[in-house]
Formats: sequence, structure tokens, C-alpha cells
Amino acid sequence: MIVRDVICPFCACLCDDLDVHVEEGKVTAVDNACDLGSHKFLTDHRMKGPVRRTASGWQEITLEEAICETAELLMAAERPLLYGWSGTCGEAQSAGVHLAELVGGVIDATTSVCHGPSILAIQEVGHPGCTLGQVKNRANVVVYWGCNPMHAHPRHLSRYTTYADGFFVRNAFKERKVIVADVRGTDSTNVADEFIRLQPGGDYAVLGALRAIVRGKGDVVPEEVAGVSREQLFRIAEICKKARYGAFFFGMGLTQTAGKYKNVRNAIELVDELSRHTKWTLTPMRGHFNVYGFNEVCTWMTGYPYAVDFSRGMAFYNPGETTAVDILARKECDMCLVVASDPAAHFPAEAVEHFSSIPVVQLDPFPNLTTAFSRIQIPVAVSGIDAEGTAYRMDGVPLRLRKVVDRGYPEDAMILSAITRRIADGGGP
Amino acid sequence: MTRLLIKNAYVIDPLNGIRGEVMDIAVKDGWIVESVDDGAEVIDAGGCLTLPGGIDSHTHICGTKVNFGRYMMPEDMRAGRTQRRGVMHSTSGYSVPTTYGNSYRYSAMGYTSVLEGAMAPLEARHTHEEFAATPLQDTMANTLFDGNWMVMEAVRDRDVKRAAAIVAWTLAAVKGFAIKLTNPGGSECWGWGKNVKCIHETVPYFEVSPAEIIETLIRANELLRLPHSVHLHCNNLGVPGNYQCTIGSMDLAPDLNPERQSLYLTHVQFHAYGGISWKDICSKAEPVAYAVNRKPQVTIDMGQMMFGKTTTMTADGPMEFNLYRLHHNKWSNHDVELETTSGIIPVYYSKTSVVNCVMWAIGLELALLVANPWQCLLATDNPNGGPFIKYPEIIALLMSRRYREEELRTLAPEALSRITLPSLDRELDWHDIAVMTRAGQARALGIRSIGKGHLAPGAEADIAIYPIRVDETDPSRQYRDVIRAFQKTSWTIKRGRPVARDGEILVEGTNKTVWVKPKVPDQYDMGKDPEFARNFDRYYTVRMSNYPVQELYLQRSLCMESEAQL
Amino acid sequence: MRMVLNTGRTIPQGNFVEYKPSPEYGAETSRAFLAPLDLMDLGIEAGDRVRITYGGRSVVLTAAASDDVPPGTLFVPYGAHANHVVPAATHGTGMPDFKGIGVEVEHTGEPVKTVWELMEDLGGKRYDR
Repeated sequence: MIVRDVICPFCACLCDDLDVHVEEGKVTAVDNACDLGSHKFLTDHRMKGPVRRTASGWQEITLEEAICETAELLMAAERPLLYGWSGTCGEAQSAGVHLAELVGGVIDATTSVCHGPSILAIQEVGHPGCTLGQVKNRANVVVYWGCNPMHAHPRHLSRYTTYADGFFVRNAFKERKVIVADVRGTDSTNVADEFIRLQPGGDYAVLGALRAIVRGKGDVVPEEVAGVSREQLFRIAEICKKARYGAFFFGMGLTQTAGKYKNVRNAIELVDELSRHTKWTLTPMRGHFNVYGFNEVCTWMTGYPYAVDFSRGMAFYNPGETTAVDILARKECDMCLVVASDPAAHFPAEAVEHFSSIPVVQLDPFPNLTTAFSRIQIPVAVSGIDAEGTAYRMDGVPLRLRKVVDRGYPEDAMILSAITRRIADGGGP
Repeated sequence: MTRLLIKNAYVIDPLNGIRGEVMDIAVKDGWIVESVDDGAEVIDAGGCLTLPGGIDSHTHICGTKVNFGRYMMPEDMRAGRTQRRGVMHSTSGYSVPTTYGNSYRYSAMGYTSVLEGAMAPLEARHTHEEFAATPLQDTMANTLFDGNWMVMEAVRDRDVKRAAAIVAWTLAAVKGFAIKLTNPGGSECWGWGKNVKCIHETVPYFEVSPAEIIETLIRANELLRLPHSVHLHCNNLGVPGNYQCTIGSMDLAPDLNPERQSLYLTHVQFHAYGGISWKDICSKAEPVAYAVNRKPQVTIDMGQMMFGKTTTMTADGPMEFNLYRLHHNKWSNHDVELETTSGIIPVYYSKTSVVNCVMWAIGLELALLVANPWQCLLATDNPNGGPFIKYPEIIALLMSRRYREEELRTLAPEALSRITLPSLDRELDWHDIAVMTRAGQARALGIRSIGKGHLAPGAEADIAIYPIRVDETDPSRQYRDVIRAFQKTSWTIKRGRPVARDGEILVEGTNKTVWVKPKVPDQYDMGKDPEFARNFDRYYTVRMSNYPVQELYLQRSLCMESEAQL
Repeated sequence: MRMVLNTGRTIPQGNFVEYKPSPEYGAETSRAFLAPLDLMDLGIEAGDRVRITYGGRSVVLTAAASDDVPPGTLFVPYGAHANHVVPAATHGTGMPDFKGIGVEVEHTGEPVKTVWELMEDLGGKRYDR
């Protein structure tokens, strides 16, 4: 059997044209997916059932036991941290926010180590954005800044930009000019019409120089800015000003280097400036397939997109204080519930160390590095493969993930609701 | 289910001709009935003003751009925080509250149904997810068609029936309620950073004008027999001199429907400006109101501006960009492929600004100069003109000349010569207010037939009891009591169940979403149309099979079907 | 030798991101890409191992040559190895310095640790069922 128009649950491109071959309840082949998506559908190293770590090793426990014990741990905690969320559907994220509110904990998502700084910048200057089809149909200039889509969003170029023909751009490959800015050569810079090779940490200055030129103040720009020649800067600015429609995409090169959200702010303000001359939009290359979904859900429920602290009985937001890495590094949380992410692999060591001092419970289909610190792990269904649910693409378009097989695993949302009910019925934390 | 008896209610029920009578209201299983038995729970309304539940016919509370407004404004979130308490979740937000914030605050004011002002079909799923988290109001969604490529092509080909067929398929697919046009034609121009300045200017490539889009869709709307009419945010919002465009847009509306208007113009305050620049902007509420008075086929809402901080958010992308250039504050934009656009900027409306003072006066002038309250409904285009929590103050301003005079004294003096408000003596009465905040909306939206907006047996038991005795109150003098009363009901009853008591929310709630499904003949079924499908194959970035919103997203679903006359 | 550390996503890292105990994952996240000139300055060849140190923490990686990496920087696929030395300070932003810190790099004969060994160094316990 072939299930058509399946939505890929790997990255935030949320390609929805996958054809998944299912035989006898197993996925046997996937058409149209990139390497990352194919691997997600085809490899299978799932944990069989819930486990608990004891002094003598790992023991199997029932789902009921796992839920009860998790509820007890949350109730006993004074400052629980509920982290992760990007790899599951909105229904689970919503349940997670309710749970965090009930236990007065802190809820944070992988956003804080990914595009959190982009959100901080947006909170300063706004977000001039669009849906990806606008880019496909109209853009004749595309900029990828500080990101490597060929590796992190492999079909982005063929679905939305460089190779994607659109209504007003009938021959994308010929008509579309692609500019890539990075500190190193990559597979993405190799397909660029213009490669801006800048020095590490130089993004802010280069963006500032481009802004100055676009504003007509190019005289202030010196011969070279962070390794980029004045001549190239003027050429790039000219291409951008003359674009009929320009689309700016960016990634960790801006959010993770010195300046963090200030780099992103500079990029946004460059796009704002260009918008006074012609049409430009900006889109952060969100990583996980549903990280934006968490920001959306958390925002309509609490008012803030991530890093929400409920210890006061209402939502309190202060990135740097209420973000997961900081809370762990300050050894502030006394329990951690991890859902759909792997902080032990992706956080700095100093933050990860704290996991060994507190009870950690994880909802995740696979043994991962956070398993090494988990007192309990409950394997769950994978959203988009054996569970349905809502996900938000990097541009905010919401899609409903399909369930193509049934593996018999419980779903995140169900478990979180069960934990919530147990705590609420038990009189609260 | 439940039985309820409300005793001693001072009822004003305009749709049933009741202008102030003390009576009992019997409720059974969520509906108003002739009588109930003695076992029913009793609420004594104490002779207080009892109205059908409030209906907001144009408010921005759910969806992509509303959520953009929230997360780009943490400062607005901090300005309206409440703690978790009982069944109430914690809330945040002043002008763009979280979904629970909106729901609780509307409920405290007696509102039981709301029409979300703008929903892009491609992102409808997001709106419905937020509807589900706005549990104490039944919801409907204005669905944007102003920049819709397929519709514009049908308009260009003068094919009203095809336009109607596209609308029919889309509304049913995304569970929308009505046709919304925001700056028609301008959305597509904004895809290139441009706009239209006049309803007869044509859109590049598609070669259609706003006037043609409006006219075609008005006729398509009636062919589909939709409950509501076309809902129009005119071109040129906020531009000095735009009143002529507004009257010109009204002139496009034929009278095609005996039950209600054929064209609903929203937040008309923003569209009633004279002058040619900010320096000489003045009120043109008079000619606009007189145009409305001459046209029974038109209904408007005020779009009242109230002083203070708020957030502007509309599907009028180019207008928001211009506001950004004026205010130099943060600006967000979101263009939706093949469909529409939107923009958001925070603003502060100030009494020291002559322009803002003129705007404030215009909204009130419209309500006082439109003779028939059924044709001028109360709204602020929440939150664009101001947050909906200010509706009680607007009610008081309309009912009390004294209150208006007090406020006029605090305005920038230069504004007074640009407005007519000081010369208007009219004071609206309780019946007028009941029309403008619920009965009129029920009629305009076409939802009386599903039991909304009235209190006779057969109506849905959405009831608001306000803590005020009409027989003991002179609203002209006691306007502060009027404000207080409309801010917080003694009881808000939804579907026969008390949901709010003195501002405290009593239940979690599950709401109903009302949507439409016009039935079209096979040859007009866009689901089977290869040309229509080609747009999904080629130009959308979402597959057609993934586009429709599944019914499971609606907490409870009420589909209003109709037989399209294609 | 002082160099700037840059971490980021790669396809091989992404392909095995759901199978982190796999040898492929550990091999990818423990790989450091350096410019040929830097390999020369370090006195090593591709395939030799280097120790990178920052703020009292260090980790051993396997060097690989890349013409794309600018001299003076090393690129390591995002994962537990690189994160073993990335500091937790976020400067009030919530985001650590995953890119751009100045690390000490030297040739070493010590072995590359597996991901489980790294976790155990931090107080964890391997999952070996």
C-alpha cells in the first residue's frame, strides 16, 4: 500500500509530498523524501517499552507504573523543568503547557538553543515574513545567511527557492539569483551565484555595512569588513535593492555567534530597509519539524513563545533566566521531564551534568544520550509515522501529520494528560 | 442536561420586539423554552437588565497574525497577567490577550459568540486550534478572499458562478463562515510591495479592480445563500480623504437580500477621513453616515478608536507597512501565498494628537448619525481601535452626551474644528445598545436562525444579566454606572449553563464553531476541477489533500448548509 | 594552538540523530574538519587525533581535512563531543556559544570516547539493553 502526500516529520520544511510504502504494518520505502526524512521513516531502533534505571541496571516497568511515578516526581519537585517539545505534535505540546502550569514548573523548548535569539530579535523589531509559496512564486533573489540548507534542510532549495519554479518565475534556476553568506565553504555555498565568505563573528558588521549602503551611506564602509571586500558589499547591496522580490533565510550562523539576537536584529532591519525600495521578506530556517509549533501553542496559551516559568502561578518569561541551559547550569531545577528532544546530546556539558543530580523522566521513542540520565523513559509513538497531530512549518503554515502505521506505542499527549489528571485528582502538587 | 429558570429579568429582546419587560426565562437542555418544572435551578435576576448573550461581529482574537502579535509583544503580555485560579488558567495580555484571556474577559462582559475578523484559508487550522482554546464563546471565522488568485481569475473572466464555486469549496474545506475582503486587490499588489489607491485601479497581471472583486463576490455570496453577507475592509484604510472610496464601495452594493444587508463594511471609522494629509485630516462621518442611511442594503460597524496603547493587526499588509514608516516602531508582516497578507504594529493613541482625537470622534459620530442602530454595530476592530474591554466605555459615550462633553474637554483643542461630535445631542437608549451589541449582529451575520441573538423560546440559552436596574438608572447622568454594569455581568449563561458570575469563570467550557457548506452542482465542485487542482500542484506549497481542515479540530461543529443557486 | 570552534549540522549527523548509540553517529560527531594548513601546523595528518580544550574541559576528536574550512577554525558536527567543551554561559540570552569560542588544539594519542563514555563522565549511565 502506498500512502500519498505524507508529511515528513524531520525538519521544518515539512515537505508534504512523500509517498510512503507500507507492507504488513511496516514502512518499506519512501519516495520524495531527502536523506534525513528517509532515515527517519526507515530506521527503527525504538525502545520496546518503558524502563526504569536502578542501581543494578535497567528494568522494564509498565506504562501505568511509569505514569504514576512520573506524576509523583513532578508533585514532589519544587522547581521542575519540562523541556524539549520540538519533536512532537501540537496536541502534546498543549498538554505539556497545561501540565507545567499545574505543577508551577518551567517549560522550555529547543528554541532556546536554536532560534530563540531570532525570537528575541523579533520581539525588538518585528518579523517581515511570508509563507514559502510567496518565495517560490515571486522571488528572484534568495539569500541564505549563516545556514547550510543542503545539509540541514535538503529539499528547501528544490521545493521553495533555487530550483523551485513558480507562477512568476517560470525558470527558477535561470531567473533566481542565490547569495550565500557563511564563514566556510559548504555544499550550499557551492551552488551560490555569490558567496559572501566572512570571518567568524563578522555577521553583525557585514549586515551593518550592507544596511549603510542600502541607506545611501556607503561612504562609511571601509575597504574590508570582516573579510568581505567593499566591492562585494556594494555589489550585493545593489543586487538586493534591484530585486523584484528578495527572500532572506538565515540560521545558526546568526543565532549562535557572538551578538546572538543582535545579529538577527540587524538582518531584520536590513530587510526592513530593503522593503522601502522593493519587496523583501525574512524567514528563520527553523530546525525541528515542530519547534515553531511549540512557539505557537505556548504563545496562545501563555503569551510567550518559550522559556515560561509558572512558579508564580502565572506566566513569567525571561530568557537567560527561565531558559533551560541557564536553569540547569545554575542547578536550579530539582526534576526534569524531557519530551521529544535530547538535551544530553545538545546542551553544554556543564548543563548536562546537573541531570545526574536530579530525577529525569523522558518521553522518547529511542535510546538517546538523555537516556543515560533518565530514571524513567517511556517510548512513545512518533508523530507523523505512528501518531497523528498538528505541526507548524517554518513559515507558520499548520499541517496535520498522518499516521501511516500502528506500532502499538502510546502517544505523548495521552501520557501527559494522564500525568496531569493524576496530579490534579491527587489534590495538586 | 440542565433546567434553569431566570426570574425577574428585565428583558430587552429587539429581535422579538421586547423593549423592556420584566419576565421569567425558562431554559432546558441549553435552549430557551416556554416553561420548566419546579426542579429547575433558579437565578433571581432582581429586575436587572437581561439581554441575549453579546455577539462581536468583528474581532481579532485567533489565528496566525493574532499570535504573531502576542509573541512579538511580551510587554503587552506582561501588562495583563492573571493567576491560575479554580478552573481558570493563567492569562496574559492587555491588547492581545492569550486565548483564555480573551475568552474569560469576553465572558465576564456577557459575550457568548464572536466572529474572528480574518482567517487565511491556508492557515485556517491555526485559527481553529485557537478557537478550541477560546472555550466560552461560540466562534465563526471571516475567511479571506481579497488576494485569492483563483477568485481573481474568475472575476477577470466575469464568471460569477466559478467565483462562487471556489468560495464554496474553500469555505467548506477550511470550516470558514463568511467571505472577508480586506483591501481587495491590494493584497496581491503587496506581494510586490505595492498597493491599490482606488477601487477602480487594476491589479498587475490579474487585471481586475477592487470594485470588480467586490461586486462579483457580493453576487457570488448571494448565489451561495450564505448566512452572512460579504464583509468588507475597504481599500485605503487610514488615508486622509478615503471617505470617498468608502462611499464608492457602498455604491457597489445592490440590494439582494431581504433578511439582511448585502454588504457589511467593517470598522468604518478608519474609512471616514476627509482632508488630503495628516495636517488637514477631518471627520467625514456625516456623508458616510448619510450614505448608510440611504442604503438599507448596507450595515457597518463603528471601528471605534479609544485612547491608550493597543496593537494594530489587519490583513491590510501595505497599510501596516505605512504605519510602520510613520511610527518607527516594530513591524511584522505575513504574506500568504495565493491568498492574502497581514501586518502588525503596536500603536499608542494619544489625546495630544489631533489626528487621534479626530479618529475618536468619528467612530462616535457614525453611531450617532446613522439613524438605524441595526445598521451601525458597536466594535473597535479589536484590538486595532482599542481592546474590547473598552466596549462599556463606548456604550456610555453613546448613551451620555455629558460624558462625551467631559471627554471632548480633554482633547487637543485643534481637533474640535475638524469634527461634528460636539454638536450631536443624540443619546442612544438601552434598546439601541442591545441592537448594536447583539441583536444587530445576529441579524447581520444571519445566525438568528440557529438561535443566536434573541431570548424567545427556540433560542439558544446564551443570556447575559447585567447588574443594573434600567428603571432606576439615567444613563445620561449615571454613565459610570453604565460602564461598571457592562464590564461585568452578574451572570453569563452559555448554552443554558452559568459560565461566569461577577467576573469569575465557573467552567472550563467547550465551544461550538459555526461554519458553512454551500451545496453546489457537480460541475461546480472544485474538488473535481483539474484547473483548480493544478494550483495546488504548481503554485501552492501544500498539497490539496493536506489543505482542508479536518472536522476534529472543532470542539463542537455546527455546519450551516445551503443550496447554492448555480 | 588556538583556534575558533564552529559546530553545526551535517547530513550524516542528522541521519543518525535518532540512533545516537550507533558507531556512525559517534564517528560523525567526533570528527573535526580543519584546513590542510592547520593540519600541517599541528604536525598531524587526517585521521590523527586532536584534543580540544576550553575552560577546563576537553575532548578528543579525529581530524579530517577540508578545503572549505577557513584556516584558524575547526568545524565539528553538532553533538555531544563538541558540547563537551562548549561553555554553558548564555550571556542572558538562553543561547550558549555554540559557535565562535577560542579553543586550544593539540595533537594527542588518546582515544576518542564513545558517546556513552562522555555521558558517564558527566554522571550518566550507559543504556546497554
